[in-house]
Amino acid sequence: MKTKQSFLSRYKGILIFFAVMLLLPFVIGLFEGSNPLEVWNNQGRFSKYLEGIGIEIFILAIFALSYDLLFGITGLMSFGHTMFFAVAAYATGISLKTLGLPLWQVLLIIVGTSIVQALLFSIVLPRVKGVTFTMVTLGLASMFHIIVMSSDMIKLTGADVGLQGVPKPAFIDPSIERLRFYVVALLILVLVYIFYRRFIDSPTGRVSIAIRENESRAKMLGYNTTAFKVVVMLIASFTASIAGVLHTLYQPIVSPTIADLGYTVTGLLIVLIGGIATLSGSIVGAFVIKILDLGLRGIMKDSAPLVTGIVYVVFVLFVPYGIVGSLKLGGLRIKEGWQMLIERFGLKKLFEKKK
Amino acid sequence: MTQKDIILETQNLSRYFGGLAAVNDVSIQIERNTLHALIGPNGAGKTTLFNLISGVLKPTSGTVIYKGQELTKLPVHRMIHMGLGRSFQITNIFPNLSAFENVRLATQSMRGDNFKIWRDTSKIEGCDARSWEVLEQVGLLEKAMVPGRFLAHGDQRKLELGMILAPDPELLLLDEPTAGMASEQVPELIDLIREIQAEGSKTVLLVEHNMNVVMENADFITVMNHGKVLAEGVPAEIANNQEVQTAYLGGLYELDIA
Repeated sequence: MKTKQSFLSRYKGILIFFAVMLLLPFVIGLFEGSNPLEVWNNQGRFSKYLEGIGIEIFILAIFALSYDLLFGITGLMSFGHTMFFAVAAYATGISLKTLGLPLWQVLLIIVGTSIVQALLFSIVLPRVKGVTFTMVTLGLASMFHIIVMSSDMIKLTGADVGLQGVPKPAFIDPSIERLRFYVVALLILVLVYIFYRRFIDSPTGRVSIAIRENESRAKMLGYNTTAFKVVVMLIASFTASIAGVLHTLYQPIVSPTIADLGYTVTGLLIVLIGGIATLSGSIVGAFVIKILDLGLRGIMKDSAPLVTGIVYVVFVLFVPYGIVGSLKLGGLRIKEGWQMLIERFGLKKLFEKKK
Repeated sequence: MTQKDIILETQNLSRYFGGLAAVNDVSIQIERNTLHALIGPNGAGKTTLFNLISGVLKPTSGTVIYKGQELTKLPVHRMIHMGLGRSFQITNIFPNLSAFENVRLATQSMRGDNFKIWRDTSKIEGCDARSWEVLEQVGLLEKAMVPGRFLAHGDQRKLELGMILAPDPELLLLDEPTAGMASEQVPELIDLIREIQAEGSKTVLLVEHNMNVVMENADFITVMNHGKVLAEGVPAEIANNQEVQTAYLGGLYELDIA
């Protein structure tokens, strides 16, 4: 079929995205009247603000990509996914602040914690399936949330106030070198995306898709499905951890809400809005969610979540394949999409009985 | 029973579901390079026996021996690597993946590249070529890019067969490959199975309801009823067996209870 494709034509979309996002701060800078040199020296005002929003979107998108790999591609619905993100965020904060380690050592620690967590989640993998897996992962993540929030840990984690005053490495300090941070976050997002694209075209990725489609059949074909799920778990855990590190480096406070179920749901919503198993949907969804949230907060203050909630419900009901998914299919295909969602959420049996 | 080349045998195999003995003390031997048919009325325990042999179910007691090795303790995903392919009575494919991808996945599992996450799938040596070859063999070449669930039922059965053929197993366990197919398509598929068996010197264990098909094509027949082996022999012997005839007419029920 498709034989040889050059790197450029294969990753055209993401490379255009990369170029546009790279130029965006300078273009915005021109509009607000600061010349590119000023933007380069982080002297822009509005462009600097937008860079900040961009960084938050990129972090969300990296997190959502890892969730899409786990949930969309492999069909493992984890409600504890944010644990990977939060553990990395707190580990980074504590190592920088309390232990005073240099950044490269922090990154080594993160690699370690992400592997340990993925293996922890993998212990339950061969034993529980479907909704039970979802609940066990929720339990694991809630445990971490409770530990973070406990008053015994207040010196390390700051309990419910959050982890404050993490010293930022000077060369990437977001308040001074924001453009550099912006480019680093963008670059990581693009690299993760390209890696994921390659992964789903690799033999391992194809088997992951087969596991989502029909796990018992994949086993009969001779695949040790648990091993494949562990590999996917490791990749997803590591990616989410990178997002967690960026989060701590960027945000002034590491709030315990990132260890909450709500943050996993944010990842899930990004994937749903962008399009399940499309990968690029995670990036689109992250933009939609962040911009929607910001826009509504400006207009309606604290009642904004009500409207975002309604938007999510409408999306799931009427755009089940998400933005990218619907574009690819060339239509909304609502009924077919519902069936797909029902299957994805492991609710098929529930709906069969009602018939 | 001397000097037979036995590829697979079960020894006193039993499986209980609660109080029900679905398979009860079954010892059968399958000779290499034959088409061995397994027949019996509904609920005779044919599929359970299949599940026991292919490792989907663990036996309550007894063992399965394949080429001198005990299969009973092996996990399901090792079976195909031992050369044992199995099809299902209910169509069991990847519904949203193309026919080609279905077969390609079956091919890929036999190569040692499964964990190369930085390698493009199309660059695995011989994998795509083998998949096309198999698709041609089962006659699905034109429908290669159609997702599994959009294929007609008969084509899905062919695809299922293709997925077992792709890894080139020595022993094929086919659980009613013609189930639900239009009757005019049945001979076509059976001929295909016969051809594969003869050309590739493979062994086939086949569950089939269509008696004509079994009588014409099988080399050896095992008849099961109520979880037990009722009769064994070449087609001519089975056709003349009084017990088998009563079993199929349902007369044996009273006998058993009494």
